Amino acid sequence: MTRLLEKLKYPGRWSLFRSDDRLLLMIFAIIVGICSGLAALFLNRSLETMLEWLHHYRVYWWAIFLPAAGAALSSLFLEKIVNEGAGHGVPEVIYAVSRYGGLLRLRSGFSRLISSCLTIGSGGSAGPEAPVVMSGAAIGSNIAQAFSLNDRQRVALVGCGAAGAIAAIFNAPISGMVFAIEVILGEWSTMNIIPIAIAAVAGTEVSRLLKGNQIVFAHRDFNIHFHDILACVGLAIFCAAASILLTRALRSMHHVSKGVAVPLWVRAAIGGSMVGAIGYFLPYVLGEGYHAIRTAIEGGFSGGLMLVAVIALVKILATALTLGWGGSGGIFAPCLVIGAFVGLSFHRFLATVWSSVPWVNEGCFALLGMAGLISGILQAPLTGIFLVIEITGGYEVILPLIVVSAISTTLCHYLEPASFYLKDLVKRGQLLRPGTDARVLTDLSIQELLETDCICVHPNMRLADFIHIVKSSRRNYFPVEDQQSRQFVGMIHLDDIRPYLFDPAMHHAVLTGQLMNTHVKTVSLHDDLAEVLQKMDDGHIFSMPVVSDNRFQGMISKATLLDQYRKELMVQTDRY
Amino acid sequence: MKLPMQTVAGALALPVSTIERWIRQGRIPIQRSGADVAFSHAALEKWAATHNLSFSLGGDQADDHIPETLGSLVSAMSRGKVYHRVAGEDAATALRSAVDCIDFLSEDIQDELFEKMMERERLASTGIGNGIAIPHTRDPLPRPPETPVITTCFLEKPVNFNAIDDQPVFVLFLLISPTVKHHLHLLSRLSYCIRDRAFVAFLSAHPDAVALYSRIAEFEKQLDDI
Repeated sequence: MTRLLEKLKYPGRWSLFRSDDRLLLMIFAIIVGICSGLAALFLNRSLETMLEWLHHYRVYWWAIFLPAAGAALSSLFLEKIVNEGAGHGVPEVIYAVSRYGGLLRLRSGFSRLISSCLTIGSGGSAGPEAPVVMSGAAIGSNIAQAFSLNDRQRVALVGCGAAGAIAAIFNAPISGMVFAIEVILGEWSTMNIIPIAIAAVAGTEVSRLLKGNQIVFAHRDFNIHFHDILACVGLAIFCAAASILLTRALRSMHHVSKGVAVPLWVRAAIGGSMVGAIGYFLPYVLGEGYHAIRTAIEGGFSGGLMLVAVIALVKILATALTLGWGGSGGIFAPCLVIGAFVGLSFHRFLATVWSSVPWVNEGCFALLGMAGLISGILQAPLTGIFLVIEITGGYEVILPLIVVSAISTTLCHYLEPASFYLKDLVKRGQLLRPGTDARVLTDLSIQELLETDCICVHPNMRLADFIHIVKSSRRNYFPVEDQQSRQFVGMIHLDDIRPYLFDPAMHHAVLTGQLMNTHVKTVSLHDDLAEVLQKMDDGHIFSMPVVSDNRFQGMISKATLLDQYRKELMVQTDRY
Repeated sequence: MKLPMQTVAGALALPVSTIERWIRQGRIPIQRSGADVAFSHAALEKWAATHNLSFSLGGDQADDHIPETLGSLVSAMSRGKVYHRVAGEDAATALRSAVDCIDFLSEDIQDELFEKMMERERLASTGIGNGIAIPHTRDPLPRPPETPVITTCFLEKPVNFNAIDDQPVFVLFLLISPTVKHHLHLLSRLSYCIRDRAFVAFLSAHPDAVALYSRIAEFEKQLDDI
């Protein structure tokens, strides 16, 4: 019995999967896809219930404090109970994938679900997608850990979790797959694509079984003409502007809220009550906003140009207030809402200025605006394109969609070089995509590069004895250690003794202690390799002694590094 | 064939810690048996080929032991033998009769050796002072002996060899080596002995072979002890 359990725990050792783990990954992908799909549905369902339940109280004046209570509770929950940081979690997943082989905590599987449910359900302006991505990823990671899979397999399952979650929440398998690969893993390899595609299908299937196969935002047929595509260029510019505005608003809100010296949950409550106050007058901006999008796409929105533009701007403000002040949730759904309203206002603007032109239905522009915003904020054009196609079931808009996505991504890239998910990682130097210099340097450790063939000498040695050691050594560097304590005191390079080498009179008169260089730059075993290289470049040196606890450990040199770096790169960029 | 971790690390010229990390990260194909990790030779070779990594088992130790195979002075000298009262009026005739002493070489090769040694003498004299010369060729012979040989020839009367100290030369050490490496090794050992004044005085008495070998053996013991 125990042997059977043991066998079940290590499926990687079964003879069936031993030669090739693709089959193993495919089976696990189904499990992970189903689990993350269920998590996504759970959040979706509880949000709907909560919004419905609280809907009756929206008429009362004190409803403006509901988002405050929700945000404060979610902040308290994250800080005190599960001890996790606020924020949407996607950067954490990306970092875990690139640095720790996708290792995520089990509690991450549900913490963001609950906190974002509190924030959004009470009316905070945020999206449920990033939290489900986080929990899907954590589910994948923990399943991989439970079965002792290796890092590469675990990363694939983390991607599977993210794909399954997005696929389930939007009933959109391709978006889930593209999102996981484009944003989470950042690496297109068949090794990953196949299990992720399977997980996306599994997640979608779970959602279809439990919720029915419905297109999230159905719309009427569009009849798109050439002038509509031309107008898309203008729309893309507006979308890019809105994306930049949202990114900047979020960032400045973070700065403002950091300046307020109150506990985190009070901070979240302050932001929440401001959102509540706004929502009292403009209820469209509350919650994740799927309902508002639906109205906009169906063309059932009656407000004029001014009102629509104001809603887009206020939604940006409300999102910044919710997330910037410590509420929990993602940026996906607010982006869709803002995009839809930017699209609507652009359509109204066109209809006012060139009223004689037969413009396509306003729903189409709302839809294009959504793609523009997603592409601009995430700087992931493929995710934007596929998501909008799938959630609206509108393949006929593909041409203007690509135009809007491409232009919006490009424009945003000029002003904000890193996407919303990646900018914090880039700032901290933690964006380590596979096969990049940063990644190779992070994976290699100084321990692996250590050259231990140096001969240690002690400071009281005569030059004659030292020259004899030089004869038997293959290196030009000689570390000097104290005879008793074995502590590192300095280095001698062959160049240091060259002037006295051919002067026999000096051979017995000079001690190594007098020749050694005591002001050597050293590195320690746990130093960051990128910093070590920087030190070498700054000092124009090719090798440095590695000293830990005052003991000489070995040398590290650029020659060995190049050798190892190349091997590492060859193994990392595998396509087998 | 199953390989242990140490062998695999050696074959890939990588530290064991890198292999351990690659196993953890799932980058290298392994076969687990219980808690142990094993590598299949065929699978690894295939994997290394797809990644352009060089993978070779063993065969790198040869380089480390070269000093021992270079041989000692005594063995080279006993192969070359010691000759006394070798005739000659000047450098060329003395060298010619010295080369003629080397009995294990055919006449053609003796001629060739003589030509090459004279060529070397024209570049710079091999008379290194104190009446000693070490004639040799600039490059190894086209068909050199498998092991280095030193033929010692005490001359009948000292000859002018254009030595660096202009002293007439009374002994020739003809050095024939299969490789330049052997040549340098023996030359360095020989010059260590010759630096000793007492040894030079000992040589000037034209000692017999047995005495010479035992004296040289003492020097070599000193060299090996350092």
